[in-house]
Amino acid sequence: MLDQSIIEESSLRSPLAEASTLKPKDGGRKRLIVVTLMLTSLVDAFSILVVYLLMSFASNGEILYINKDTELPTAQQTDVLERNTIVKIEEGKLFVENEEVQQKGLVAKLLEVRKSWAQTHKEETAQESEPALTIQADRRTKYEVLNSVVLASSHAGFSDIHFAVLQK
Amino acid sequence: MRRKKSLDNEIDLVAFISLLSVCICFLLLTAVWIQIGSMNVKQAVGGQAAEGKKNPALWTLVQSDGSLSLRLEDAPKKVSRKFARMRVEAIDGKPNFEQLRTQVAELKKVLPALTTALIQPKKATAYEDIIGMMDLFKQEGLSDLGVAPL
Repeated sequence: MLDQSIIEESSLRSPLAEASTLKPKDGGRKRLIVVTLMLTSLVDAFSILVVYLLMSFASNGEILYINKDTELPTAQQTDVLERNTIVKIEEGKLFVENEEVQQKGLVAKLLEVRKSWAQTHKEETAQESEPALTIQADRRTKYEVLNSVVLASSHAGFSDIHFAVLQK
Repeated sequence: MRRKKSLDNEIDLVAFISLLSVCICFLLLTAVWIQIGSMNVKQAVGGQAAEGKKNPALWTLVQSDGSLSLRLEDAPKKVSRKFARMRVEAIDGKPNFEQLRTQVAELKKVLPALTTALIQPKKATAYEDIIGMMDLFKQEGLSDLGVAPL
């Protein structure tokens, strides 16, 4: 029955026994070495992997779009990154929510953002909730560049500033 | 006589393994391997409202050569006198974080109410150095942080 089954095709011959000069096995009766795979342990391993990956699946991973040339600074004592208005500094250029803004027009743009925030968060405004700003910049950026954003946010009334960092 | 039907049924694992493989591929492709957090600060100047009693604050002035000058404000006179001049020398143009940690820890021991730290960088101060200082202050229990504009 085994000869007709599919197992015969997938069965392995012993290469050592076939190569033997004293008593070659391939001439006589064939000895079959049937290899079976233990699927239970494989399923277990796969299940553990799936559970681990599901647990580490971050739903907030898309808050920031980081350029490949941008390296965020690292820190240990960090807070959870929340979805706020993002001001990005890339190669000396300023972006507010991915829209390039000139340094002179930054305050006006932030005021506009704050105004639209107040309209969409009327209930929160009543509870004295303040909008926050997230700054995303390369770790080598000089404070001279960052200063314009800090000043503009202060002028536009953003009291909370969140610096995006990589967790150590 | 009818023969008894076997009750031992086997689950076809091949389909299950295929499903798990697809799941693993999808999750591996969409996994986020870097953890991004945020360092939250309040606006330094003007952030501390004049509400009666002022909390002590530690001002950190970053010098052009990377050295740091620490200054206490609104602290009890006894402590202010003891820690009147604190300086952290630079190493290769960067602040000496270990020395800063020692000084802040010493200060925190004498003045446990100290929770505010304000950083005043220079034009050429690197962003990573500012974040490094903030991280250090947070580790030492100074949770209210601020950065002063130029």
